[in-house]
Amino acid sequence: MPRTFDEELQFLEKKSPCCWTIKKDFVPNMKVEGLFYVNDHLEKLMLEELRNSCRGNIGGFLPGVKQIANVAALPGIVKNSIGLPDVHSGYGFAIGNMAAFDMDDPEAIVSPGGVGFDINCGVRLLRTNLDETDVQPVKEQLCQSLFDHIPVGVGSKGVIPMAAKDLEEALEMGVDWSLREGYAWAEDKEHCEEYGRLLQADQSKVSSKAKKRGLPQLGTLGAGNHYAEIQVVDEIFDKHAANKMGIDHKGQVCVMIHCGSRGLGHQVATDALVAMEKAMKRDKIVVNDRQLACAHITSQEGQDYLKGMFAAGNYAWVNRSSMTFLTRQAFGKVFNSSPDDLDMHLIYDVSHNIAKVEEHMVDGKQKTLLVHRKGATRAFPPHHPLIPVDYQLTGQPVLIGGTMGTCSYVLTGTQTGMENTFGTTCHGAGRALSRAKSRRNLDYQEVLDRLADLGISIRVASPKLVMEEAPESYKDVTEVVNTCHAAGISKKAIKLRPVAVIKG
Amino acid sequence: MESSESEGKAGEYYDVVKKFEYLDHTADVQIHSWGDTIEEAFEHAVMGMFNYMTDIDGVLPRKTMEVSAEGTDYESLLFHLMDEFLFLSCTDDYFMAREIKITEFNREKWTMKALGYGEDFDRERHGGKGTEVKAITYSAMQVYDKTPKSEIFVIIDI
Repeated sequence: MPRTFDEELQFLEKKSPCCWTIKKDFVPNMKVEGLFYVNDHLEKLMLEELRNSCRGNIGGFLPGVKQIANVAALPGIVKNSIGLPDVHSGYGFAIGNMAAFDMDDPEAIVSPGGVGFDINCGVRLLRTNLDETDVQPVKEQLCQSLFDHIPVGVGSKGVIPMAAKDLEEALEMGVDWSLREGYAWAEDKEHCEEYGRLLQADQSKVSSKAKKRGLPQLGTLGAGNHYAEIQVVDEIFDKHAANKMGIDHKGQVCVMIHCGSRGLGHQVATDALVAMEKAMKRDKIVVNDRQLACAHITSQEGQDYLKGMFAAGNYAWVNRSSMTFLTRQAFGKVFNSSPDDLDMHLIYDVSHNIAKVEEHMVDGKQKTLLVHRKGATRAFPPHHPLIPVDYQLTGQPVLIGGTMGTCSYVLTGTQTGMENTFGTTCHGAGRALSRAKSRRNLDYQEVLDRLADLGISIRVASPKLVMEEAPESYKDVTEVVNTCHAAGISKKAIKLRPVAVIKG
Repeated sequence: MESSESEGKAGEYYDVVKKFEYLDHTADVQIHSWGDTIEEAFEHAVMGMFNYMTDIDGVLPRKTMEVSAEGTDYESLLFHLMDEFLFLSCTDDYFMAREIKITEFNREKWTMKALGYGEDFDRERHGGKGTEVKAITYSAMQVYDKTPKSEIFVIIDI
């Protein structure tokens, strides 16, 4: 007998102004409680999703709260299955869901759904020493230059020459490959999670099908919600942290790039899901949702996936490095200056679809955990050994991309976050309107006109995407970021506003 | 033929009969397809996927690609079939299909063979009319083999 909305509500409890718990038995087999961070406005959206599913809908997809709870039922999970403020319905895991598993527990699992199809989808932010006044007169030219340099959209192919052997090396070496080939600066490595290379990657665990998809796509932006944006600093909340990032005044021009591992990552995830379905039958692992296909971390399937996933992660870093290279070239051409003279340094690069092996304190003991962050970003605090020297006092920069035409944020990691969410925070705005609804209800020209009114130049390869990606289709990123700030799991440092957008 | 090609339409070719629609889903797209037989529902699920990448009415039937799929049940078979076509769309010459025909379906072994009629992606004629599909998912997947109407619900990752 399906429960009514009121019956479901009995399992949800508001612990504090921005934090709710999901009690055990909300779904079967929960090993720990679920937790989600929302403010009043976002809370309404969450509960709306739940209410709609109680009414029954054709298509029958699960609301975010149910998915967070289903994850809490996975073997080996530690502490809580956590929903960040941008949480919404996804595959198996909700998008904006973090879950950590005890690597010392033989039952503990790894799940590709907890990483996402777009392995190591992430964001990087480059600074420049340009000001908005330098860019405004050449904005259209610059936007066009970026669009011409960066391959975008269906059927686009990478411009950086690559053979099968190059791809294999890139999969093993990550940013080190880009560095060797001259597409990255040495300093870029320093300002990237894992220094742009997951060491346990094994390219032999990436199928030839995945490699075939990946080869032509290296250095392409892709479509969907991926983009390259020219942004200007709109507000500085934390002057000290901003200074450490090389940001010292409003109007300073930056470039934000958001993309992932393209078809290669998707294929790695797909291949793993198929292999794990079989493993689950063999090892008798029971899950509440087929899309939560998983395998014991120590099993062959688990290990193969991890190594292949790390290789796909490396591919994404090579991809973002390639796009950085193309961006630096585009700027250099328009301003007739070298990217070095333009101070186009990488502030930081974060991943928001990945699983990492990390050390965390659990009940006073140090444990090695496999932390899945799907649509969630790592946010390590000050003094954490894995963050770069220049950010030791401020904490790890966290890049939160807003949606097309809205603002983006840079946050820093906090100790509270480290303790409560294993150093995890949100990743962006999260969708509010479905793509189908957006296509029906929003007018392409209206969206473009609105962007033009805001002074934002745009180049998009797929016009239909304009409606799907319109700000109205998403939750308010400011609400999401403010909730994280209020909850103490990350701290606002900088707000950025877009002046030009390139989309696939 | 020349002028109708430049219009982006298939000229003397009829508009494709479409037995699919797109349903609301927060992050991605749910394809709802149907047919007189389950094979037809399968065919139109794949066509629904291609139609999201480009306007399939503008795809000419110049090339035929054959695909084989296998699974252990309806869901895994559908997943595999769509994945094989997705693979064709993003590798080599970026094949787009306007129509799909299931040529073989072995219910005991859960194997299927299908043909895709279409052509390689042409930026000028096919570009800018849709968006990339990242993956097929099992999320909320439903396959109903019924008479008189078979139906499929499948979410594709955008």
